[in-house]
Amino acid sequence: MTATAPTTTPRIGRTRRRARPSRLAAAFWFVVPFVLLLAIWAVTIAVTDTPLRTFPQVNDVVGAIGDMIASGDLARHLGASLARIGIGAAIALVTAIPFGVALGASPMLSAFFSPLLRFSVALAGIAWIPIATLWLGYGNGAVIFIVWNAMFFALTYNALLGVQQIPEQLLRAARSMGTGRIRIFWEVLLPGALPSIVTGLRIGLGYGWRGLVAAEIIATNAGLGYALFLAQSQFDTDVIVASMVIIGILWLLMDRLLLAPLERRTVERWGMKAVS
Amino acid sequence: MTAMVIDNLHKRYVDRYTGEEIVAIGDVSFSVHEGEFVSILGPSGCGKTTVLNIVAGFIEKTRGTVTVGGTEVTAPGPDRGVVFQSHALFPWKTVLGNVTFGLRMKGMDKARREQAGRDVLELVGLSGFERKYPHELSGGMQQRLGVARVLVNEPAVMLMDEPFASIDAQTRRKLQQDLTALFELRRPTVFFVTHDIEEAVFLSDRVVVLSGRPSTVRDIVEVPLPRPRNWHAAVESTDFRTTVTRIESLLSGEEAHVGDGS
Ligand SMILES: Nc1ncnc2c1ncn2[C@@H]1O[C@H](COP(=O)(O)OP(=O)(O)O)[C@@H](O)[C@H]1O
Ligand SMILES: [Mg+2]
Repeated sequence: MTATAPTTTPRIGRTRRRARPSRLAAAFWFVVPFVLLLAIWAVTIAVTDTPLRTFPQVNDVVGAIGDMIASGDLARHLGASLARIGIGAAIALVTAIPFGVALGASPMLSAFFSPLLRFSVALAGIAWIPIATLWLGYGNGAVIFIVWNAMFFALTYNALLGVQQIPEQLLRAARSMGTGRIRIFWEVLLPGALPSIVTGLRIGLGYGWRGLVAAEIIATNAGLGYALFLAQSQFDTDVIVASMVIIGILWLLMDRLLLAPLERRTVERWGMKAVS
Repeated sequence: MTAMVIDNLHKRYVDRYTGEEIVAIGDVSFSVHEGEFVSILGPSGCGKTTVLNIVAGFIEKTRGTVTVGGTEVTAPGPDRGVVFQSHALFPWKTVLGNVTFGLRMKGMDKARREQAGRDVLELVGLSGFERKYPHELSGGMQQRLGVARVLVNEPAVMLMDEPFASIDAQTRRKLQQDLTALFELRRPTVFFVTHDIEEAVFLSDRVVVLSGRPSTVRDIVEVPLPRPRNWHAAVESTDFRTTVTRIESLLSGEEAHVGDGS
């Protein structure tokens, strides 16, 4: 039996020489729209002579961010927000994924729960803030609940979909090699559903992030949402926009540093296209 | 010794949407001896895959018995290894991870199963590809891995459902040649499904020829070709040609029969 040895075949994802220029180009095209936005913003404010109490100029916002860093406010708000989204997301992951995978494994259960889940995805997160504060009061508990709630349904639903999309033959192959009911969860259902779970995580984190900001505006005295609220009550438009910018940047970082590498190491490496 | 016995097998499907009943397998009986290569051949839609799926334990029969290694089949189990037409490799596992999967399920320790995995990969010509993922392999290599993944578990019977049907003609010839060599070396018991007459004759010790749906066994044809076999010698031998012709007439007799009935 002959098959050419793979000595000349480069390992996918490891080709440094080719990756570098394309990555640089990608970074460039990532930044361009933001530079353009900044330029339009600066020019518009200057031309229309908009006062600070209506909307800040670019350098006002940069100054506000500088002040927030210097005073330690940024670190305090950032720490509070990241801790809440971290805890909420972690709870959502460990509750939603097993639940969704288990539902997906049973055609009857998934048929029964699918409409409920789609209904709940629409309502998840922000709409629950009144209930959350009624149950848990004003504080970390309510905010974490909202983050969890915002993520839970999207994650569950996508885990369920992911399991349903696993080819029957993979399950049969595993069972014919002696994989029992419990092991099939780890060996086939979970990795097989991963493309869809990653999609769910991306959607869910987006919901969770918005839920976090909204809940912080209402329910706490720290965090980026609270910073927004505080600045609004003091008419500090520069701090408001600074907080908005930071919230946006954080989301981009989360996506780039957490989700994209996760996708690259799993779904892409395995040649399983992400479901969208 | 008999490895597998199929006795008066019958399968009726009920269509999920129309509620219509389809009798796929009318009455099929045959057996496979240990170390024997038996193919089942018949027109498309006659129930070949159905027979294999029942033997594998993937679907239930409506009548009859299937025994493998003396015990009746009720569910999938590691005594029957399946090579799928679609390969059905785990995309999230490396080549080595795929090939050692069954041994890991059996609880074999890592060092021993990886050694066994490397040995069988060498046998199917996949040495050096251990750390690749299935999508990085060509179709032919993927199916080599599909065969290796089953062979390494030394099942009582290997079940193969048109494993080379989706592979280009040239590569298919090579894979058939290599499968024969592998069979002659290791002597596993093989139950092979195909609709390709030449493939069945080249690979098999015996060929079970089915009629159209609802299928019955039209005849079981012994292949008189000596082993080791190779394609060059086979296509030139008269035994190969007469066996192929005999099966062709068995199958075309079926067509005439269908023509009479309509
Ligand atoms: N799940 C099913 N439900 C209903 N009919 C089926 C099902 N699976 C197969 N059949 C029918 O049974 C017959 C035999 O199918 P199959 O075993 O796949 O044939 P082959 O492998 O010989 O081509 C076909 O007519 C097919 O339409
Ligand atoms: Mg078939």
